[in-house]
Amino acid sequence: NEDVRELETELPRQYPNEIPHNEKLLSLKYESLDYDNSENQLFLEEERRINHAAFRTVEIKRWVICAMIGILTGLVACFIDIVVENLAGLKYRVVKDNIDKFTEKGGLSFSLLLWATLNASVVMVGSVIVAFIEPVAAGSGIPQIKCYLNGVKIPHVVRLKTLVIKVCGVILSVVGGLAVGKEGPMIHSGAVIAAGISQGRSTSLKRDFKVGLEECFCLVFAGGVLFSLEEGASFWNQFLTWRIFFASMISTFTLNSVLSVYHGNAWDLSSPGLINFGRFDNEKMGYTIQEIPIFIFMGVVGGILGALFNALNYWLTMFRIRYIHRPCLQVVEAMLVAAVTAAVGFVMIYCSRDCQPIQGSSVAYPLQLFCADGEYNSMATAFFNTPEKSVVNLFHDPPGSYNPMTLGMFTLMYFFLACWTYGLTVSAGVFIPSLLIGAAWGRLFGISLSYLTKGSIWADPGKYALMGAAAQLGGIVRMTLSLTVIMMEATGNVTYGFPIMLVLMTAKIVGDYFVEGLYDMHIQLQSVPFLHWEAPVTSHSLTAREVMSTPVTCLRRIERVGTVVDILSDTSSNHNGFPVVESNPDATQVAGLRGLILRSQLIVLLKHKVFVERANLNLVQRRLKLKDFRDAYPRFPPIQSIHVSQDERECMIDLSEFMNPSPYTVPQEASLPRVFKLFRALGLRHLVVVDNRNEVVGMVTRKDLARYRLGKEGLEELSLAQT
Amino acid sequence: MAPLRRLLPLLPALALALGPTATAGGERRRRRLLALGEAEELSASLWGAGLPGDLPELEPECRRLLAAFAEGSAALAGCLGRRARPVRLCQACHRHHRRLLAQYASIARAVGNSSESHNCAKSILTSDRLQVVVMLSEFFNETWEAANCANCLKNSSEGLSNSTVEFLDLFNKSLTCFERNLQGQAINLSPDNYTEVCKNCNASYKMLNDLYNNLQRMNRQGGESGHSAHLCIDVEDAMNITRKLWSRTFNCSVPCSDTVPVIAVSSFILFLPIVFYLSSFLHSKQKKRILILPKRIQSNASLVNIQEKYS
Repeated sequence: NEDVRELETELPRQYPNEIPHNEKLLSLKYESLDYDNSENQLFLEEERRINHAAFRTVEIKRWVICAMIGILTGLVACFIDIVVENLAGLKYRVVKDNIDKFTEKGGLSFSLLLWATLNASVVMVGSVIVAFIEPVAAGSGIPQIKCYLNGVKIPHVVRLKTLVIKVCGVILSVVGGLAVGKEGPMIHSGAVIAAGISQGRSTSLKRDFKVGLEECFCLVFAGGVLFSLEEGASFWNQFLTWRIFFASMISTFTLNSVLSVYHGNAWDLSSPGLINFGRFDNEKMGYTIQEIPIFIFMGVVGGILGALFNALNYWLTMFRIRYIHRPCLQVVEAMLVAAVTAAVGFVMIYCSRDCQPIQGSSVAYPLQLFCADGEYNSMATAFFNTPEKSVVNLFHDPPGSYNPMTLGMFTLMYFFLACWTYGLTVSAGVFIPSLLIGAAWGRLFGISLSYLTKGSIWADPGKYALMGAAAQLGGIVRMTLSLTVIMMEATGNVTYGFPIMLVLMTAKIVGDYFVEGLYDMHIQLQSVPFLHWEAPVTSHSLTAREVMSTPVTCLRRIERVGTVVDILSDTSSNHNGFPVVESNPDATQVAGLRGLILRSQLIVLLKHKVFVERANLNLVQRRLKLKDFRDAYPRFPPIQSIHVSQDERECMIDLSEFMNPSPYTVPQEASLPRVFKLFRALGLRHLVVVDNRNEVVGMVTRKDLARYRLGKEGLEELSLAQT
Repeated sequence: MAPLRRLLPLLPALALALGPTATAGGERRRRRLLALGEAEELSASLWGAGLPGDLPELEPECRRLLAAFAEGSAALAGCLGRRARPVRLCQACHRHHRRLLAQYASIARAVGNSSESHNCAKSILTSDRLQVVVMLSEFFNETWEAANCANCLKNSSEGLSNSTVEFLDLFNKSLTCFERNLQGQAINLSPDNYTEVCKNCNASYKMLNDLYNNLQRMNRQGGESGHSAHLCIDVEDAMNITRKLWSRTFNCSVPCSDTVPVIAVSSFILFLPIVFYLSSFLHSKQKKRILILPKRIQSNASLVNIQEKYS
């Protein structure tokens, strides 16, 4: 690192300039999505033909699509849930039998090796498929979906292959015993399904694409609606909300029906949804006004711990991007983490002397180890279990089930393990691990509180475990609205709505003071051109003139084919939209802006050879319809695959029928916040900057706007980089 | 207040209740009082006469049923209380419980019979707010359920099931084994040293433990979703006592602790990531990003200006 810096200072700035990866970059890899309709003549003609009844059917189709999205998402969630339960059960039974056998005879080190090897091998498979087949399936998927909703096209993020890898990957990583959860990947799967269905069916519904995108967020629980509301949706309306809510409920219904059949009591649909941490009893666990300051204090603690988590994870991710970028190294790293997780768990269980009597079947895999007969190791309920079950145990086990010492050690270890795990090349989420960390220290807090107050009744450790979990989760991911709802829903309790909200708010405020949320941090580290809600506050003095890119590659209204092909083939300037200007031969007139045409449209035109000369010779069988453009969607062929002969290069192509004749423009003097607002609110991809003679002077794209950011020392400018 | 017409057939019963002191004249007086609607006076007179507080509606048949139920519940309560420690509820009281169930059923069954016995079920079970009989019966049923006694009784709940009998046999055997060996030990006068017990009774303890684990597994598999996974309290408690004696008092189950290999293996595993990260830091080529100069009007000064202005 240091010699790089020296090099930089010695050498004069030269092009191309190589720098190590850092957070202040924007990657060229990411492009914008085309939300904006190209309102060309073809479109207008078709629009005129569609009658009222056709709009009705489109509306009905939308509902059907929503229902299908819901059902499929529910089925996928179900599949993940059931497979994880069975495979994890198998693994823990094998290890438990082994430990039980070796406890009597000696040789527990073999059990440790068995556990670590099992974990590592399962995680290896999960990591190999992610690292070698579909790297975009790594992580929780929420940052990627957030970017997608923001309008950034992350390559491959909504492909079927990603879905398959994601589902298999998350199963393997949870079974592999990593400190991960399966909720984030489920959200991602829902998004892929939504995008897939709405794309597949939308040859006639291309308009819905935007809508389909946002239907991505059909989570399996109703909190999902609020989640999308909170997270990204740039285009929101009442109908959309209602449709997503519909899809969520359908999905919950599907999940419940399948799970009810699976659990043997068919059609009992009252079993709660996917995330379920058990019901808190209202009468026993009320709260009083005196407790509210305590809750707020817990929120502060959660915020600080969350900020610490994020800061540690930031350094780790930076290290990973810089040094561990080869797939095989990533696989090895994931395996090592899995082995270490098992080893840490084993050592903790081994050293723990906290024995509790077995009560019925509340403990899924009671490990006796060095406890007396009929007792189990209390540390093992926390470590020797899937994280989700551990959370439930921490919430609901009766007071006195855990020693403070056990909880303290567990929190400490799990904090570092979870922090280390997030960002590995496995598909896994951070929801459940953060809940688990929070539940552990919250319970510890509750126990010490009841110790301090000489055992007052209201200091129930389960309640504080819940608050701690909320605080920790809020401190790490910094979502408030949807988390409150999800927590309320997962615990089936409305009474705690207010305290949970308070705790989450405090945690967010405190955490934001130090570092930003985990998801935002990862988006930034991926160098994604992400547009926030508003332009940076101090950017008013910047004008469009300073922001825009210039000069702009323009096309004339009637352009030579050769020029078009050359422009499209130019790899150094991989532009997507081209302003179309008046093609006037004499140079006395200015070439005013006439429209905007997209790369995809040009490619379709070239493919169908819509040239002026051919039209004059009556070689064209039919006029090009909007359908031809749609058929190519969403994967347009690259320019290299289109063959244009030398003769055809001399032909002319008339763009006036196909270009969007009314592109959005701004004058040069418009301020950055104004440009930003227009761009963000309309979900634009290209914004043409014109002078007062309607002459194109520049083009504002996403990357031009996203590079301004409010840093520690005022406005910062990010640099573009090839990644 | 009951209308007179309904009271008429009850007269003999009332006569029975009032005993020999009740006369026809008294009867007449009561009817007149009832007709006047002075119920308080009636009850006062009843209390004043030192009569039992039975309601006049109760037929002798119902009274008999009620008395039987009262006796049955007293017996069951006594049995439960006496057998609370060490827990022998299911073994000792299942007959009482069955009998009580039958008695309750005969009270409740009377609903459909005739008009008279209709009165019987209704007047005993549902004619007041408290419904003591229902409450008692619920209490016993709940206790029985909580104790999971059905688990160690035969399906028709006549007597203990075979596995339970087998378990109790083994349990008794183990206890006698403990006792015999402890007596032998007493001569040695070394209270902390129970190696004799551990050695001699290991076999029977192991058998007992295995049988218990087997029962538990079978129970968990056969258990319906509504059925709890507990064995019946007698078996559970017996096992608890034995286990406590075995591993707490006698300190027999001393597992081999092989701390050294565990520490060695775990520190080896913990050491691996350090090696991995160090080696990838030293040997892996750091990923470089190629900066791209944006096409832009050269006005770098403007940004600097802004920052100066705002800072």
